[in-house]
Amino acid sequence: MLGGGAAAGLFGSLLGLGGGILIVPILTFGFDLPLRDAVGVSLVSVIVTSGASAGVYLERRIANLRLGMVLELFTAIGALIGGLIAFLLDERVLAALFAALLVYVAVTMGRNSTRPTAPSGDRRAGPPESATRPDRTSVFVDRLSGSEYHVRRLGPGAAGSVGAGVVSALLGIGGGAVLVPVMHLAMGVPLRVATATSNLMIGVTATASAIIYLLRGGIDPFVAGPTAIGVFLGATLGSRTAHRVDVRVLRLLFVVVLLYTAFQMVRRALGVA
Amino acid sequence: MDLERAIGRLVTVGTYLSVVLLAVGVVGLLAAGRSPLDGGPPLDPGHIVGDIAALRPEGFLWLGLIVAIANPAARVMLALGGYLRLGERGMAVVAMLILGVIVLSVGLAIGTEG
Repeated sequence: MLGGGAAAGLFGSLLGLGGGILIVPILTFGFDLPLRDAVGVSLVSVIVTSGASAGVYLERRIANLRLGMVLELFTAIGALIGGLIAFLLDERVLAALFAALLVYVAVTMGRNSTRPTAPSGDRRAGPPESATRPDRTSVFVDRLSGSEYHVRRLGPGAAGSVGAGVVSALLGIGGGAVLVPVMHLAMGVPLRVATATSNLMIGVTATASAIIYLLRGGIDPFVAGPTAIGVFLGATLGSRTAHRVDVRVLRLLFVVVLLYTAFQMVRRALGVA
Repeated sequence: MDLERAIGRLVTVGTYLSVVLLAVGVVGLLAAGRSPLDGGPPLDPGHIVGDIAALRPEGFLWLGLIVAIANPAARVMLALGGYLRLGERGMAVVAMLILGVIVLSVGLAIGTEG
């Protein structure tokens, strides 16, 4: 379990994913844990893993605390809803949803591995949303912006954050797969800031649903302890070796693993695994 | 120390505290020859201190998990105090609403149990 968690943390870190997308399949297929219990354990693991880097991102002022807090109000609401829904849904429905997530991530990674790296400039940063309405709301939105970018389209950002919270709570992931595109593409936040801010937000997002799993007996301490420690160690190792590893081949290999895992999840959803 | 730095420090310290507690619990689990798949005891806050005093791994594991889950909420509380001190009422309201959602999730988890 320590090894499985370490592998999830290591590969997740090298490939820019949270560990959650790997922890749940490892616990479900490798240790025969019910999917819902695996999601509860995964939520705790992503809180621990994201915490170490979130602290550093804040101290170095890469993460945007104000924007993160405004959006995590909505991710927390989504996570609360998702946490309650998770205990109402049949495990086979959860397996089908997880399979869809795996395919989505595999397709996204597959596209990125065949696409040249985007230029570093932030072409999506637009004019301040508040430019045409100088009122109290505009002052508030301006304060969410950084020195080199202006936050825009707070409404879609809030709606996307609710969705990220629901997905996080249902599937045990940090929600970065949804949050980073929402902040970067819809709100004009530079990718580096969006990634760091998303990392910061994982804590509150996962906490809102982890509390529900915890108080309803959905987290086994004997499983959560070794898994969280393994993910933490793996992610730490990954962040220190990432610059020395050529992740292109690793990424393609990972796409195959994700698609195979999605196939197994579909079989579980259909009741044949 | 400015607010971001103070919050960053709190998040880091809380994370490492939870990791140390979980690691002690895992070592205790291995030393006792127990398998993680044996299934741990349910959460009983009243037993945690006694378990830790008796060096039982479940006490360290539960406390580590609680510290990990409480850490983000503590970060929001620190932000609330900081924004109130800075006179940023908008952000203080946001922080209060986040804490409200967390409290609501505790209430709903208990209220809809079973």
